[in-house]
Amino acid sequence: MKTPFSVLSAVCLSAVFLFIGCKPKPNGTEPGGSTEDATIAYVTNGVDPFWDLCAAGVRIAEKEFNIKCEVHMPTKGVVDQKRIMEGLLAKGVAGIAVSPVDAENQTPFLNEVAQNSKLITQDADAPDSKRIAYIGTNNYKAGRALGKLVKDALPEGGEVIIFVGRLEQLNARQRRQGVIDELLGKPTQELGSVKFDAVDAKNLTAEGSKYTILDTRTDNFDKAKAKSNAEDAITKYENLKCMVGLFAYNPPACIDAIKEANKAGAIKVCGFDEQDALLQAIKEGHAQGTISQQPWEYGYESVKMLKNILNGTMPEKKFLEVPFLVVTKDNVEEFWKKKKEMAELGKQ
Amino acid sequence: MAAGRTPLLEVRGLCKQFPGVRALHHVSLKLHPGEVLALIGENGAGKSTLMKILAGVQPADSGEYHIDGETVAFLNVRDALASGVALIHQELNLAANLDLAANIFLGREPNRLGFVNDKATHLEAAKYLKRVGLNLPTETLVGDLPIGKQQLVEIAKALSCDARVLIMDEPTSSLSQRETETLFEVVHDLREQGISVIYITHRLSEVKVLADRVTVFRDGQNAGDLSQEEIDHDAMVRLMVGRELSEFYDRKIHEPGKVILELDKVRSPAHPHTEISLQIHAGEIVGIAGLVGAGRTELLETIFGVTPALGGTIKVNGQAVHPKSPEEAISAGMALAPEDRKLHGLVLPMTVGENASLASLKRDQNNGLLNFEAEKDVANEAVDQLQIKTPHLEQVARFLSGGNQQKIVLGKWLALKPRLLMLDEPTRGIDVGAKREIYKLMEKLAGEGIAILFVSSEMEEVLGMADRALIMHEGAIAGELNRSQLSEEAIMQLATGTSLAA
Amino acid sequence: MKKNTLGIFGLLIAIFVVTAVLNDKFISAYNMQNLIKWSSLYAVMSIGVAFVIITGGIDLSIGSVVGLVAVVLAYMMKVKGINPSAAIITTICMSGLIGLVHGLLITKAKIQPFVVTLCGLLIYRSLSRWLTDNQSLGPVPLEGDKGYTNLEFINQLDFIFSGKIAIGSFNLPTPFLFLLVIGITAALFLNRTIWGRYLFALGNNEDGARYSGINTDNMKIIAYVICSLMAGIAGLLFAFELDSVQPAQTGEFYELYAIAAAVLGGCSLRGGEGSILGVIIAAAVIRLIYNSINMLGISTHLEFGILGIVILLGVVADEFLKSYSAKRAAAKQQEP
Repeated sequence: MKTPFSVLSAVCLSAVFLFIGCKPKPNGTEPGGSTEDATIAYVTNGVDPFWDLCAAGVRIAEKEFNIKCEVHMPTKGVVDQKRIMEGLLAKGVAGIAVSPVDAENQTPFLNEVAQNSKLITQDADAPDSKRIAYIGTNNYKAGRALGKLVKDALPEGGEVIIFVGRLEQLNARQRRQGVIDELLGKPTQELGSVKFDAVDAKNLTAEGSKYTILDTRTDNFDKAKAKSNAEDAITKYENLKCMVGLFAYNPPACIDAIKEANKAGAIKVCGFDEQDALLQAIKEGHAQGTISQQPWEYGYESVKMLKNILNGTMPEKKFLEVPFLVVTKDNVEEFWKKKKEMAELGKQ
Repeated sequence: MAAGRTPLLEVRGLCKQFPGVRALHHVSLKLHPGEVLALIGENGAGKSTLMKILAGVQPADSGEYHIDGETVAFLNVRDALASGVALIHQELNLAANLDLAANIFLGREPNRLGFVNDKATHLEAAKYLKRVGLNLPTETLVGDLPIGKQQLVEIAKALSCDARVLIMDEPTSSLSQRETETLFEVVHDLREQGISVIYITHRLSEVKVLADRVTVFRDGQNAGDLSQEEIDHDAMVRLMVGRELSEFYDRKIHEPGKVILELDKVRSPAHPHTEISLQIHAGEIVGIAGLVGAGRTELLETIFGVTPALGGTIKVNGQAVHPKSPEEAISAGMALAPEDRKLHGLVLPMTVGENASLASLKRDQNNGLLNFEAEKDVANEAVDQLQIKTPHLEQVARFLSGGNQQKIVLGKWLALKPRLLMLDEPTRGIDVGAKREIYKLMEKLAGEGIAILFVSSEMEEVLGMADRALIMHEGAIAGELNRSQLSEEAIMQLATGTSLAA
Repeated sequence: MKKNTLGIFGLLIAIFVVTAVLNDKFISAYNMQNLIKWSSLYAVMSIGVAFVIITGGIDLSIGSVVGLVAVVLAYMMKVKGINPSAAIITTICMSGLIGLVHGLLITKAKIQPFVVTLCGLLIYRSLSRWLTDNQSLGPVPLEGDKGYTNLEFINQLDFIFSGKIAIGSFNLPTPFLFLLVIGITAALFLNRTIWGRYLFALGNNEDGARYSGINTDNMKIIAYVICSLMAGIAGLLFAFELDSVQPAQTGEFYELYAIAAAVLGGCSLRGGEGSILGVIIAAAVIRLIYNSINMLGISTHLEFGILGIVILLGVVADEFLKSYSAKRAAAKQQEP
């Protein structure tokens, strides 16, 4: 859930900045002690809790590598991101790590940035641009790991349904396909050339598989819609055994719906990302587990890579895979603690 | 003048019905080439409807329409223009931001392959402007011209379409004396050029100067024709109202009571530099006359708090009040039946009952709850007292005739028992029968001691109804005439800014 | 029931029957409970905007007010540990105040409602995100939150705002009770008080109402206050229902659902028309369409399309019905 859909116009920006401008900064999060003049920048594709966790990684790396890194979160959309990056170039930042909003169409602009600064992409790639490297999760692999969680939850097999905000996004489709392929026992595909099942495919199953993927329902980032989707699934499918939520708010919505229908235990939940409600449910045994992308690693690795590039060390490969973490009842306490620390550190 | 020949334009047995109103009933009209025909009648007599039908703005329900002896059926204005019939609207239809040439040829620009041929446009335009006596550069913007000249541009535009019949709908209602005279000259010239003119007017004095023949309408029907020799003021009025004047305006003189409304040096936002002082007594009917734009409506609206006064004092019943809104004016005992009753007087989509009770809901409420009993009583009383013709109280006000709508407005106010009743053009757009009832009501209310202040553009109404008339000119009261001094000439002199002594 | 309310009620029944025939699980008690719950939540907002639409205005800020109220409530109760009663009173007052500011800007500063509330939409959304650093948070505190000491009370509130009351084997969602009280009050206000009459009058003809001695400015302000108040109450209901509030997304676009329900329910955007019953039924129709789409397994990508077509058809049918009855009334009038 990193490129939320919205119509908010650029007018909003001025208001947001006004508020940001007059808000007191929390203590201790200012980058301190950087002695070098070089400044780099970390540009997100929007405003989201996910990015605050990433920012925590940036702060840690700033201290460790002694470099100053500005974090910019464009309110929404391509226009805003472009404006911010043009401003950074004007200021002469030495390097930029960006999550492009619309990689394909931004390629010419990204090339322009790459000419004037050191450019890497993170979270989302722009493979056709002249960026030096890409730091990201293998969402297909993460999807397969999520599929394994489902298998652990339903060793006897059963009916599974998937919930997601939008399927227009590549990462959402890769995750979904990973889950499907794992459950149906299909061979592992290469990230760059994943073949997708139709977005409205129903009752997917395969010979030899104990699992049926009933449907994939979307909600356009509306949490209320996400919850009513989950409720409707409970109504419609008597034999539903597991709900899979691909975006951060989906698993908590499923958990709520299951609880209210008194189906706790009868329907399992497997999720993605690390919302508190999901972690709480894992802790209490209402959810099987989740796949965390460890967002802080994005920030940390981005700063580290840019620092190396500025020092003359080019990355060996074009793709740096950030490892994801499978969180289950066994390690949830530890993970949650870390997440809390990171959230505190990453606050703007 | 040209009797005997085939009429250029002729209609027979024309009927037109609107929801709730019979606008035209078997109406006939003849117009010969080179004739100036005056069309007169009270408001609501059907003149404007007939003009719209002649010019193709609206279709008739039934009847015959001939041009040059041939039957025609216009579907739209373009059809009518093609046959040579052009309507000069009361509200001019010119684009203020375009120049004269562009306006004259708007929509018919001489062009080659879609490109406007500018030179030809200007040359042609100059030709037509000359015919109406306008010697102005064709590049002049219409918005920069005074209203009288704009009207001439409109006529030039009609001529450029080869119009043979010009229909002029109250062309002088917003013109100055000088502009009016110019217009008359142009009309005479046009007649010389063989163009026929149908001239609608309220001003009977204009008819004598201008017309070859008069056709009078009353209540949507032909009331009679007068040839040039027969035209005189009384004859026209008799045909218009259908009876002798004295019978129509049945006035008794009441002994004026104490002062109800007193204005001392009041300045309205419309005329911030003019101070107005006046007094109206209980039982008195005072008329305000003047030309359109003289500030009459604005004065009433200032008294009523719609556009609060900038300075001066307003006293009602001896108490100083400074109404900042109609709400305050009403609680001081005032009421206003506004000029535009559809826009300001009524809430058209609501029912007769809801409209009649709208102003008294507050008085009759039970701690905010509607008092349906009282509401019904108020509405029923209005319907009975004013003889409002409606099938039931739930009828939507929109479907009532103008006269009945005006009665609802009056009923709404009478329920509050105001001390001062202000009426702005009380009989505009109302049929003769309802008009008479409203006059009777005014007389009755004055008898009960209510002070009545009314604005009217109808000379007859002021002459017939007012105990006293105040004549406004350019925002100020130019003079006051008591009943013995009242005459059409005296009012016109004051209204056009000529002092009485002169 | 008025004619136009009858039409929308027919639509509700039609969709209901079709879905019930095609999927027997649709009429299960569980699904009906969900349907009633969601319809109630959205209907509360729609009732609010109906008031504004009746005056001939519009309120685009509803969704952002829902979001802001939910966020502020969660923030106060969970993060700051403020007494939950105080938090609820504060948020309700805040929403009323927002409406007051809208009303004053529209009537006294004479700014168009569209502009005022569009700016509101942007500002309140920003405020929500700024206040929380854009972190999602729920009204019910977890261990370690400051508000954890009030947990018991908050759980009671959670029941009041998003609980279910067992009536036999049927669990009635509490938001329905909110809707019941608000709906009846609103209908009484519109049809039984002088202020309701004033709202209709000024919506049909503002000048006409003013010339009749109605303080049209005050009435309009009241309408905007009611609208934002309803959005605020909806915000509380949504906060407890969803348990987690996302500052950037909670309530986003809800103004459009609310306006759609108001229009489908018989309010004219020209003002002066509307019925509370119609609006409630229309809100239920919209939720029913969503539910039916899931029940019938229609692709979620088609949702907006289906919703748009249904609303359009509803409004077109309504318009036909109106001109037909207007013609009949006119014809009747002409008979002697």
